[in-house]
Amino acid sequence: MASGDLIVGLEIGTSKICVVVGETRPDGTLKILGVGQAPSRGIRKGEIVDFETAMKCVHEGVVDAEQKSDVMIRSVFVAVAGSHIESFNNRGCVMLPEDRDEIDDQDVEDVKVNAREVSIPAQNAFLHSIIQHYHVDGQDGVLNPVGMLGEKLEADFHIIHGVRTRIQNTIRCVKELPLEVEDVVFGALASAQVVLTQHQKNLGALVVDIGGGTTDYILYVDGAVKQSGVLAVGGDHITNDISMGLRIPMARAEKLKTEEGSCILGNCLPGETIVLKDDSGFAGKEIERETLNTIIHLRLREIFELLKRTIEEEPFINYVGGGIFITGGCSLLNGIDHLAGEIFEMPARVTHAQKLAGLTSAAENPQFSTAIGLLKYAQAVQVDRPRRGIGRIFSRFFPGMR
Amino acid sequence: MIQLSKNYSLPERQEEPIPIKVVGVGSAGSNALDRVLLDGMDKNDLIAINTDVQALATSVAARKVQLGRTSTHGLGTGGDPELGYQAAIESAEEIRQAIAGARMIFVCAGLGGGTGSGAAPVVAQLAREAGSLVIAFATLPFSFEGKRRASQAQDALTRLNEVANAVICFENDRMGDMVAPKAGIHQAFGVADMTISQSVRSIVNLIQRPGLIRIGFDDLFAALRSQNGRCLFGFGESNSDNRAHDALTQALKNPLMDKGRMLGEASHVLVQVAGGPGMTLSEVEILMRELGKHVRDHTQIVFGTAVDGKMGNRLTVTIISSLAAEDSVESQIAPPPMPEPFLAPPPAALEEIDEPVSQPKIHAWPDVEAPVSGAMNESAADTAATTPPASDLIPLEQAMPIEPPPAPPIKKSAPRLIPPKKKPIEKLPVAEKEVKQPKTPKEKTHAKQEMMQFEPVTRGRFEKSEPTIVEGQDLDVPTFLRKNIKVK
Repeated sequence: MASGDLIVGLEIGTSKICVVVGETRPDGTLKILGVGQAPSRGIRKGEIVDFETAMKCVHEGVVDAEQKSDVMIRSVFVAVAGSHIESFNNRGCVMLPEDRDEIDDQDVEDVKVNAREVSIPAQNAFLHSIIQHYHVDGQDGVLNPVGMLGEKLEADFHIIHGVRTRIQNTIRCVKELPLEVEDVVFGALASAQVVLTQHQKNLGALVVDIGGGTTDYILYVDGAVKQSGVLAVGGDHITNDISMGLRIPMARAEKLKTEEGSCILGNCLPGETIVLKDDSGFAGKEIERETLNTIIHLRLREIFELLKRTIEEEPFINYVGGGIFITGGCSLLNGIDHLAGEIFEMPARVTHAQKLAGLTSAAENPQFSTAIGLLKYAQAVQVDRPRRGIGRIFSRFFPGMR
Repeated sequence: MIQLSKNYSLPERQEEPIPIKVVGVGSAGSNALDRVLLDGMDKNDLIAINTDVQALATSVAARKVQLGRTSTHGLGTGGDPELGYQAAIESAEEIRQAIAGARMIFVCAGLGGGTGSGAAPVVAQLAREAGSLVIAFATLPFSFEGKRRASQAQDALTRLNEVANAVICFENDRMGDMVAPKAGIHQAFGVADMTISQSVRSIVNLIQRPGLIRIGFDDLFAALRSQNGRCLFGFGESNSDNRAHDALTQALKNPLMDKGRMLGEASHVLVQVAGGPGMTLSEVEILMRELGKHVRDHTQIVFGTAVDGKMGNRLTVTIISSLAAEDSVESQIAPPPMPEPFLAPPPAALEEIDEPVSQPKIHAWPDVEAPVSGAMNESAADTAATTPPASDLIPLEQAMPIEPPPAPPIKKSAPRLIPPKKKPIEKLPVAEKEVKQPKTPKEKTHAKQEMMQFEPVTRGRFEKSEPTIVEGQDLDVPTFLRKNIKVK
């Protein structure tokens, strides 16, 4: 049984539901107690399209996690994804009153509020506003301005927002189980918490989380989030391409992709074939390995190239010194790091959650990066605000709720 | 990496590696030598030739020849090719001694300056007289170096073409594409040196490595046939898991290759794939198949492969070809009148050399002789009538009559001196033809590209979901369909 604070991360993925149960120890370390998973249905591109079915799947996943970790799950942190999630950088500014020149906590709060006073589409809600740097009277790169003297306090924030109703759908799905939702977190942000070390964040790094339905990315420079976003293309698309290109059922295509697929071209023997055994409802078939790899290669190349073009709209990628970190289920494809490195022209590697206690075998699977990242995120947040009611959080994110 | 040491022997072919010398003429040439040495060539095979003593002193070559002790007094030529030429003539004997014994001589020179432009053709000529096979690597000056240098370089190139068996010409302007715009000028020149060194290295390997499918001089010449043209050269090396692909990509990345696009216009392409004992047939097959995408159907691919235990798990690809360059051909049709000293009184010399044309050389180059000399003699015969003998004679021949007796080998292969001289002139119409030729097939290749049209746009499992439209494309449709790439 858990002795410390229990935290549960829930990722409702396009291909599967991941539930990771962990506990924070008094010494601040995080221990994974158990991992539950269930194949998901009713979810496309990271978003729920069939509410009932999706709910059943989430339930299965949660039950699995409860059994594996031997705890009762009451509340969870949920990761969200989907093409509707967008981000931008904004600078907030407050002037200190004339009679005071020492910056205090309230000023910092004010500048946060100020930074968020930007127009996002009416139907959107803020997911995160992440501090990048403070500026005091034009002095750049201030990490903590409290106690400093100054007249003008500015703060750069990275703001991630998404369509309110779509986020609420995910929340509702969990709440009907019924489980409490502690917080909703953007998937890539969660993954980055465990995939990157602080050093790598400072050095600059791009995390690309290629899941089933979406490819989420987040870019750190100087230890701060500079860019993030979602491309609604993922491993499912590869499977679909294979299925259509080779004219085989989806399930077969998926199996073929995970077992035999590679995105490196020209690396197999000419005429080398893979034999698909016949099965009920499927006559056996022989397919050329190069054909399979070409399909995968073309899709992944396109994903990376799109990503590169998107990211290059802003200059931050030039300051990335740590390289690219690929995670998520799709990162298990052979040669993906090679391809990403080639396209982005910087070192790329496949990675997973680092430095955790407990069930480390789970941590070593990039499929769980996001769910484990949720725990880390939760841990970090809970230090800030020990135990807050769910209501307060929600009033923060969704002023319209409750 | 390349060991030119003698410990390798191939019983059936030859007992010893072909003796090779790399000659750097002028300061650009000796810079290239530095790089060649760094890349692992034996110091004793390098010869630096220069008028400038100071530059010569800093050269890494084991053998150094100072040109024009009395005419330039150890100073440079000040960019005057004529002075360079005079100096070389003055020191002809020394040069001869330095290059003696080599069967194959690479002459590296930066054209445009005094020593490089003036002396390199002389060195090449002397080397030919000594019976060696001469391949010249010439760099043309950057265009920012001025028109004067450019025209000096063109003159020198024309003359080099006349005397050398093959000239591989690098345009420095194109090298510039290889380095970042912000890189220092040193770096740009360094890249040129590096490319030369790479070429020397790979040609040496090409010729010396015992081949399963061997590439001989004849193949090399066939690939470099369009003289005056633009040389396409690519070299790639890799030891990664996907080395066949990587090595080829690297070879095609060479700026002289223009990512393989230039290959589409070449009529002969020479490819050598070399690797350690671990090289598999399928690797070679993959590589050649990939390369095949870059060349036209009727391009003749001369393929060679070699296995060398020293290569370990590395795999190298060397691609050599040439294009007849449109503008350079034109500019060389009417070369500017040569300076006086070049027009020497030579008909006598010509006849002298003509005599031994018999057949003594067959033992010298068993691989090469038949095709090369045959072609050369023919061309010589063809053009003998039309070509005024004086214009294509290289002044050096003045010295010739005195020379032959002491060095018998010279006599043997002296005849080879003549054919190439006429070659460029005879070549011109051919070259022009070749210029035109690529144009039509180019269109053909365009037309050949199949357009795979498909009417219904299929999205498969995403049929009913919200489409993901990015940059005007529906990403749910398989990439290979959208890009019209045939996968089966």
